[in-house]
Amino acid sequence: MSETTTTEAAETSGTDATPQDVRSAPSDELAAVEAEGTRDGESVAAADDSVGDPGAPDGESAGDDDGADPGQKPGSGRGKTSIRRLEEEGEVAADYLEELLDIADLDGDIDIDVENGRASVAIVGEDGSDRELRRLVGSRGEVLEALQELSRLAVQARTGERSRMMLDIAGFRAARRRKLEDVAARACQEVKHTGQAYRLEPMTAFERKVVHDVVAVAGLISESEGEDPGRRVVIHPASA
Amino acid sequence: MLVDVLEHLVRGIVAHPDDVQVRTRPQRRGSLLEVRVHPEDLGRVIGRSGRTATALRTVVKALADGEPVRVDVVDVDRGR
Repeated sequence: MSETTTTEAAETSGTDATPQDVRSAPSDELAAVEAEGTRDGESVAAADDSVGDPGAPDGESAGDDDGADPGQKPGSGRGKTSIRRLEEEGEVAADYLEELLDIADLDGDIDIDVENGRASVAIVGEDGSDRELRRLVGSRGEVLEALQELSRLAVQARTGERSRMMLDIAGFRAARRRKLEDVAARACQEVKHTGQAYRLEPMTAFERKVVHDVVAVAGLISESEGEDPGRRVVIHPASA
Repeated sequence: MLVDVLEHLVRGIVAHPDDVQVRTRPQRRGSLLEVRVHPEDLGRVIGRSGRTATALRTVVKALADGEPVRVDVVDVDRGR
């Protein structure tokens, strides 16, 4: 647990916030809270779904989108998480997905990138039209999540290493991220204004992760509560 | 097409891709896709709490054009 704690603090500062901004997540304070087993220990977003991560035998890894996000885990010795390695992950996933598009007779271009310490693969419409590809997203992104999960397993089958690659299709995640950042920012204002905790709607691991990041930058504290699919973020005032 | 999709999706995630077989069985309505894999790969294809099998079903259904389709992972160790 303390390892993921450190991870979260380090990762938060690795995104946009300077370490000073991340008042909510100084690592030793979190570690202490966590040791006491209070609910705030869980505010470590990384502790959220990534607990079962290292060495877990199967595909549970998708959950670690939530907190254990950008970047490798410091101290966990994943030196292989080099750019080259992540590019390779992206290539394997892209091959897997490209053949799927072929078989299903769907048109799409595949972009490979490395972002925030993860391989990132995006399928976009060839002629600027994403309509056809929306079948691979689903009404609430459920098909996209399924394909991301399978792509990660395909990478793992090839490389022997668990992958945390992110998949986007037809800009779905990008749009969802923008919307959630907005929702989270408004919730943070509310919490600062009222001094009361604010409970958000249930979200996927990816969505909770977006919210956790916004909350950390705002200098507040967030935690996840409940079990999927009802798992949700609660934002607390900084002084909580 | 769905058979090929499913076969590709499964082959990509197992250790023994050559042992992957997908057969389609017509049902009264829609079809049933039966997946057979090497016994060592069974756990991978099903996943923890059936998570991987669910992901496979989700993708196949999305490409089925609303036609009812079932996906079963057959445990070849148990009979047949």
